[in-house]
Amino acid sequence: MRIEKDQMLSYFEWLIFNFGLLQGAIVAVALSLLGFVVCYLVSMARYGPSEAFFHVTRVIYELLARDLPGTSIRRVYALARLAFQEAIRRRVLVIMAVFIAVLLFAGWFLDPAADNIAQLYISFVMTGTSYLILLLGLFLSCFSIPADMKSKTIQTITTKPVRSTEIVLGRIFGFTAVGTVLLVSMGVLSYVFVIRGIEHRHESGDIASDGMSGETSYDASHAHSFEMSGDEGTTDEQKGHRHLVTRTGDGQYVIGSPEGLLNARIPVYGRLAFTDRGGNPGIGLNVGYEDEYQKYIEGTSLMSAIWTFSNVQPSRFGGGDTLPIEMSLQAFRTLKGDIVTGVQGAIILKHTNGRVESERIPFIVKEFSVDQKEIPRKLSGSRDGEPVELDIFDDIVDEDGKLEIHVRCTDPGQYLGMSAADLYLRAGDSTFGWNMFKGFLGIWMQMFLIICLGVMFSTFLSGPVAMVATMTCLVLGFFGSLAFDVATGDTPGGGPIESLIRIPTQQGAMVDLDLGNPVLEKTIKIVDNGIMYTLFSVFKAIPSFGQFNTSDYVAYGFDIFSGLVARHLTMTIAYFILTSVIAYFFLKTREIAAA
Amino acid sequence: MSASAAVETESQPSIDVDSDVVIETRNLGKIYRDFWGRKKVAALKSLDIEVKKGEIFGLLGPNGSGKSTTIKLIQGLLFPTSGRAFVFGKDARDVTKNERIGYLPEESYLYKFLNAEETLDFYARLFDMPAGERKERSDRLIRMVGLHQARRRQLREYSKGMTRRIGLAQALVNEPDLLILDEPTTGMDPIGSREMKDLIIKLRDEGKTILLCSHQLADVQDVCDRVAILHQGELRELGRVDSLLKVRDVTEVHATGISDETKEKIAELIRNDGGQVVSMDNPTTTMEELFLDIVQDNRPGSRPTAN
Ligand SMILES: Nc1ncnc2c1ncn2[C@@H]1O[C@H](COP(=O)(O)OP(=O)(O)OP(=O)(O)O)[C@@H](O)[C@H]1O
Ligand SMILES: [Mg+2]
Repeated sequence: MRIEKDQMLSYFEWLIFNFGLLQGAIVAVALSLLGFVVCYLVSMARYGPSEAFFHVTRVIYELLARDLPGTSIRRVYALARLAFQEAIRRRVLVIMAVFIAVLLFAGWFLDPAADNIAQLYISFVMTGTSYLILLLGLFLSCFSIPADMKSKTIQTITTKPVRSTEIVLGRIFGFTAVGTVLLVSMGVLSYVFVIRGIEHRHESGDIASDGMSGETSYDASHAHSFEMSGDEGTTDEQKGHRHLVTRTGDGQYVIGSPEGLLNARIPVYGRLAFTDRGGNPGIGLNVGYEDEYQKYIEGTSLMSAIWTFSNVQPSRFGGGDTLPIEMSLQAFRTLKGDIVTGVQGAIILKHTNGRVESERIPFIVKEFSVDQKEIPRKLSGSRDGEPVELDIFDDIVDEDGKLEIHVRCTDPGQYLGMSAADLYLRAGDSTFGWNMFKGFLGIWMQMFLIICLGVMFSTFLSGPVAMVATMTCLVLGFFGSLAFDVATGDTPGGGPIESLIRIPTQQGAMVDLDLGNPVLEKTIKIVDNGIMYTLFSVFKAIPSFGQFNTSDYVAYGFDIFSGLVARHLTMTIAYFILTSVIAYFFLKTREIAAA
Repeated sequence: MSASAAVETESQPSIDVDSDVVIETRNLGKIYRDFWGRKKVAALKSLDIEVKKGEIFGLLGPNGSGKSTTIKLIQGLLFPTSGRAFVFGKDARDVTKNERIGYLPEESYLYKFLNAEETLDFYARLFDMPAGERKERSDRLIRMVGLHQARRRQLREYSKGMTRRIGLAQALVNEPDLLILDEPTTGMDPIGSREMKDLIIKLRDEGKTILLCSHQLADVQDVCDRVAILHQGELRELGRVDSLLKVRDVTEVHATGISDETKEKIAELIRNDGGQVVSMDNPTTTMEELFLDIVQDNRPGSRPTAN
């Protein structure tokens, strides 16, 4: 699982500074203009240039002055209810049967002996649910209005005092209600499936003669050993879980349910900076992978990775007896070295003023898994170079609640790689059920967006075409980041026109375009920028569906932070408004009986 | 003039809102175009009619003459290519006018998966009616159209006439001031169409306005106060039914049990009076004759036609 930098922002940071308001506003303006131009062109083809302008503004006026104020909850409800009944009549409940069947046969292709069984089960149910639900949303929304047009039942509706807004909202809400009912049922089934799937018991096996340690039986492809202290004890960790062991009065050992499989860790992320080989602020190394996601630091140099955490208080960390740190760093080897122990590094906690720091806490990189460290509150360190005993929260965390964590690589010639999300403080746990709910909320938002898009396209396209259009958005949205690179305009060799000129003239992408005509070159650049910006807006306008899918968080045991949920909800609402307005325009200007 | 003009609301109709005129069309025309904007059919050419409050107005014409097109233009289901239509002084595309309109389409376009009660409840909701009122209305209407035995059955199981009946009930759910009926009696049994006609007249007597089109000329003759006859999208005849039929100076005599002798005596009498016996057969519906004359172009329409 990979958490992008911008996903770690809090809701307000995002809303105000990044991608949110500002870019949202730009995109909204660009899109409104685009929408206006498209509608204008469509109208112009019909009525000529001056009439068309009048026509489009008139529709906008009608929306704001009449149809929106005239929209009645009761009518929207009636239409939504109709859409719901229609969907039920179309036997959407069959989807439920499919889902149950999939769960029943899941045993055939889910390996119960897998190391990360919880992850496997969660990913499975959530992926299954989202495919079924998205497909459902697609079919329901794309075919409904065209079917109504074809059967002309819409004529009986529009000759009642029904606003176009109400038809659009009624559909969207009705289908969303159907989807929600199904999603909730699937969610409950999924939860039960996961809980039951990971549940297993062991019997007590061989017990040591003093009765204080022993082995469990071999069940679910593994066995544990356990230690007792008094009448209680725990087993060792196998496949990511432990069991509680209790000794009953008659000397029997009872081994409980597996624990620690279903997590919802609450990570506290920090800001990551690097120092260079001279110990001065700098950037990390790129070891040659295309992907710029992780940066590397060199062993036994002054290079370090520095995370700065804010708001570090004992109350956030279960009273603060320890500071739990979790990390999953990458190792990059330039020599074989000690292959058995792995690459070594060290953690140092530092005050932001740089004068107080803890001793080095050494570690060995556990690649591809999460390394958990509990740093005791009291530890030795130094103040102004003098050795002292320190208290993390009293001495190392500064007045503003900030704490620096420095990571160094202590293996000569080896490198450690990290990104901001790879080291975090673990501020307790949320409950798994709640986290799963938030994961399903992500699927719900995806479904809602698809329904909005489907309804929008179906107001002016026939059913199958609307479906293709929605699916195109979906695919572009899933590969949103890919499309984004194309659209951000940071391409050597210029935009489409410039590149087209470079190909036949064989000019390299690294030199400036030279046509011997500065005005022409300038014009080409401006037009190119225009094209790139339009592409950018269009891609930006397509909801990046992939982003809404937070099931990885659930599967990998991370709490989906509420800032992220809030952000997704905001985007969902924005897209909902946008698609409804466009749908309104097309429905309003469509001759219902001419179809 | 273009279709976008139809959205304009500044230019008000010549009538004011509470005048007697319920429907007004001015130079109303419709050309159907295909997807590429090419002209396909000129379905309606420059129609000017006024329907007054409290009258039953009939639209007649052969198949494809533009009756349904006119009705759809008046409802705002189609946008005119030229001219405008007003209902209650509002533009045809203003949805608020629908509060006072009941519409029975050519075929009842209803949701087949609902039953009669659900159907009426649904359409009543679209008029923003509270629950109690909805219940009371739908009970009354179902009883009125004689479907109380089938009230819980899905419309997909309904026969043609039953569908027509529930369609009518649906059109009356808001107690409309204007009722627009596209071929109301098709598919109805004789009793049904008799009841339909009685209902139409009763509603007129309550002060409602009715616009209908029909191929049942006898029905039209029975109920309509005024008719307009369309032919190939043009208005060919417009007037009061009685005066339209009276134009032709024909006297009909209905009698039974008279001998040929008596008939001859009557003919004699007419001739003596300076009249002329045209025919003395079983009488045909005069509406039908008028209609056929116009449609077969035997007789120029009494109104000047456009173009
Ligand atoms: N959606 C449409 N697209 C293209 N042409 C249409 C459309 N609807 C109707 N027309 C054409 O417009 C003309 C008038 O049709 P309209 O339905 O108004 O006739 P009508 O008088 O109601 O006929 P009927 O008595 O058969 O109901 C016909 O030539 C018809 O083919
Ligand atoms: Mg018709």
